[in-house]
Amino acid sequence: MAQTTGTHTVTFGDGNDNCGNITDSFNTTVNKFNKDAEIMRWLSPLEPDNRHHDVRTKRFEGVGNWLLEKREFLEWKGGESGADKTVLFCSGNPGVGKSYLRYVVELF
Amino acid sequence: MLRQSGCRQIISEVRGRVILKKRISLTARNISSLVIDSLCNQAKEEDIGVAWLYCDYNARREQTVINMMGAILKRLVGRKIPEDIRKAFQEGRRPLLADLKRMFRIGIASSPQVFICIDALDEFQPGDLPELLESLRDIVRESPKTRIFLTGRPHVGKDIQKYFPKAVAIPISPNQDDIRNYVVMRLDRDIDREAMNDDLRAEIVKVILDKVSNMYVAAYPLSTMYTYQRLL
Repeated sequence: MAQTTGTHTVTFGDGNDNCGNITDSFNTTVNKFNKDAEIMRWLSPLEPDNRHHDVRTKRFEGVGNWLLEKREFLEWKGGESGADKTVLFCSGNPGVGKSYLRYVVELF
Repeated sequence: MLRQSGCRQIISEVRGRVILKKRISLTARNISSLVIDSLCNQAKEEDIGVAWLYCDYNARREQTVINMMGAILKRLVGRKIPEDIRKAFQEGRRPLLADLKRMFRIGIASSPQVFICIDALDEFQPGDLPELLESLRDIVRESPKTRIFLTGRPHVGKDIQKYFPKAVAIPISPNQDDIRNYVVMRLDRDIDREAMNDDLRAEIVKVILDKVSNMYVAAYPLSTMYTYQRLL
């Protein structure tokens, strides 16, 4: 087994300069990040990502998957049919599932 | 007999819980989140832009057309904020709708395809809906690579049709797979596990599905929607 030995040489040059560069670079990155966040808030105060996270965590997996395989959906997503397929509108009442399942269970 | 009474007890329990459950996930909102996730997965492999909004009756005050369009734009530009948008920001005034439309042209220029999903349009301020749809139409005219996915109660279809006469509508209602998945999920989650076995589960699902006609309805052009509804 080869003996692993290592000599680590650390050269301290003008430490202040190096530190200064790193700090400047860090500050620039942080400032850019803050500025970008400010621009995003300026564009809109709405945060749809949060809402999406909330909705998807309450979702029952497997329910509604049929849509993703439907021809109309694939044509819309594929975007090959030109402007005719620009808009897909899924219409339904929020309570449709509830009332439908009530109908289901009342059959017994 | 024991088996049958056990089955009835389970069905009874399912019934009670199902009826109490409000807005179960067989709804348009569920569909929207599925579509968004599916597009986001695609975006990991392809260079496409995906933006979304969930309209919310309780957030009507802040869900103005400008804020909505701004939210779509910020999602689409992501971390690569175009210089024009930076400049407009530095000028210090709030963006107007016309500014946002101009920024859209710049912001999505580099994406080969853009998807915009808006859920529950019926919860959006009705008086502002035409302006929102008009803005979306303007974006599509400028960037034909844009695809728009909308959900809402059937009545907003009339507004959508005014701006997108060739929109395709798909009615959302649970089909047999949805019912099967839902019933299996509820049984697995709620029922005493010791009382359940594969045969019983299969029987309950079969009994329910046998009683239910398939709610599958074909898609149709939005323009025929109202004729179609009358037929129903």
